[in-house]
Amino acid sequence: MTAAASPLRRVLDALPITVFVLLFIYLSVNSNSFLSLPTLELILKQAVPTVLVSLGLATVIIAGGDDVVSGGIDLSIPATAIICAAIVADQLTNREATLIWGLVLAFGAAGVIGVVNAGLVVWVRMTPLLATLATSVAVVGVTKVITESRRIGVTDPTIVFIRDGQIAGIAAGVVLTAIVALAFWHLVHRTRWGMNLQATGGSRDAAQISGIATNRFVVQSFLLAAFTGWIACTFVLARGSGSSPGSEENLLLEMVLATFLGAAFSPRRVVTVWGAVLGAVLVSALSVGFISIGVNVFWTGCIKGALILLVVASAAAGRAQ
Amino acid sequence: MRAVLARYGFLLIIAGFFAFFSLYNPAFLTLGNQMNMVEGSAVLLILALGMTLVVALGGIDLSVGIAFDMGAAFAVVALKEYDASWQVACLVGVLGGVGVGVLNAILIVGLKVSPFMATLGTFFIGSSVQRIFTNGGGPISHRRMPQEYRDLAVGDVFGIPTEIIIAAVVLILYFIFLERSILGKRVHAIGLQRSAANVAGIPVRKYMFVAFIIASATCAIGGLIGSANIRMFTPLAGFSYLLDAIAAVFIGASIHPKGRPNVIGTLIGVLFLGMIGNGLNLMGLNFNLKDALSGLILVGALALAVGQKRLR
Repeated sequence: MTAAASPLRRVLDALPITVFVLLFIYLSVNSNSFLSLPTLELILKQAVPTVLVSLGLATVIIAGGDDVVSGGIDLSIPATAIICAAIVADQLTNREATLIWGLVLAFGAAGVIGVVNAGLVVWVRMTPLLATLATSVAVVGVTKVITESRRIGVTDPTIVFIRDGQIAGIAAGVVLTAIVALAFWHLVHRTRWGMNLQATGGSRDAAQISGIATNRFVVQSFLLAAFTGWIACTFVLARGSGSSPGSEENLLLEMVLATFLGAAFSPRRVVTVWGAVLGAVLVSALSVGFISIGVNVFWTGCIKGALILLVVASAAAGRAQ
Repeated sequence: MRAVLARYGFLLIIAGFFAFFSLYNPAFLTLGNQMNMVEGSAVLLILALGMTLVVALGGIDLSVGIAFDMGAAFAVVALKEYDASWQVACLVGVLGGVGVGVLNAILIVGLKVSPFMATLGTFFIGSSVQRIFTNGGGPISHRRMPQEYRDLAVGDVFGIPTEIIIAAVVLILYFIFLERSILGKRVHAIGLQRSAANVAGIPVRKYMFVAFIIASATCAIGGLIGSANIRMFTPLAGFSYLLDAIAAVFIGASIHPKGRPNVIGTLIGVLFLGMIGNGLNLMGLNFNLKDALSGLILVGALALAVGQKRLR
């Protein structure tokens, strides 16, 4: 970002935002209900699990650098959310345990996943992409053993409250997620710890020379990511009224899309916490919007893919200018 | 001792699993089962070779499964709807893969998108196109396909299954190209240090463009065999090969003296994964438990394979 940015660069910089604005105008004009409070609430409610896992991914990317292959990435967060949901559902429905006990067990599982990821990346020095892809597959496998590949319904009142309840007139899930997002924003962008975390991702060597224990921050970022997976599990349970096998794939795609989309909207084109939140809400808005104007649901993957490519291609072209 | 572990640590693990499976179930060691194991690994080997080329260039291809699917879809549709001969169907299938590769190449070389994001985008679009085309993911079956096409998967030449022969031919071509030719040396040079390769006069962009197309075309060959085997095109079937292909390439790179992705290493990685799958099957485990175990073994194996480099 130099002061003398070329006109072409400015056009490229504005391209993703322009396309999104145009899409929203198109959706509002073509659907009577798109620009209404109930739709807005639906959009936010739908975005909840994606927002939470994107917070985790953003933290890992901020600590590891934004090169997808050699930098930081955690593809196992959605699988973590799904296995935690499976553990809680299994405890509640099949073993008649309390919600607290289920959550404690799930927290342990998430902790193990976080430690394994951190160990593989920091100690074994595997690339995060490979390490977290592999743990993700293992976690999905273990989830199948827990659920026997079946859906487990949940009727716990707390879970139902997160799904249907309201806090101050706003959907409970949205309020709770907003609190978590604010906490992450404060932690990563407003504290000393967060500054060190950003320094670690910005340049590992420079951070190390200035005395930051970089490995510690990378480890903590993976633990935080697993933690967001754990938090997301209650919302996954609430949304599906139980745990369903195979729902991690869609969450994974939405998480990656939301986080990198968020980067395109930040002034320096870097992954940020609020960018990830905004990205997740935009992705959800598009999904809801396209359904509301009756676009075939099979097209949504195509549209999302094209959007990812548009955003990253214009960012890459902008950098080259 | 340390040096031996660093060099042969992973091979010792392979030997350990081999011994364990042989002792657990004598059927594991029979010639018939060993042949099954190799035959079952043929398609994965073909996809993993395509992945080896891309990783050797310093990239990654998350759309190998899409190229596999396109190979199968184009060939089956050509046979079913257009009554094409089996040769034409094979050609059309490979061209389907080439299409995927061209899209990747334009995004990566032309628009300078990182290979991860570009092939992820291709993956989204490719999956969506398959859903649209098949109205949500129903298979396109073709029971009366020409015997020659079906033989790609179930036939044999002098008693050796055709699948193995096709995979072996691809393997040899990749070995000559990537490990024994000047072209391959240049590919490795680009993967090691792209800017240096550029300064040294290698047309980096041209190499990357062609390599992504070759990789996708190779994966489409896997798709041909897959569709011949089950006599249908199953949408999104290729996805299941993605992680195994990546894992095989990285296991292979870890046994290389310099830690580079290489053709023989990939072959060993693929056979290791095939052995784990086959061995766990023969243990008669519950389907879900088998999935969990093979996932955990994969994490452990990758950790050991990557970790043994640190002993050097």
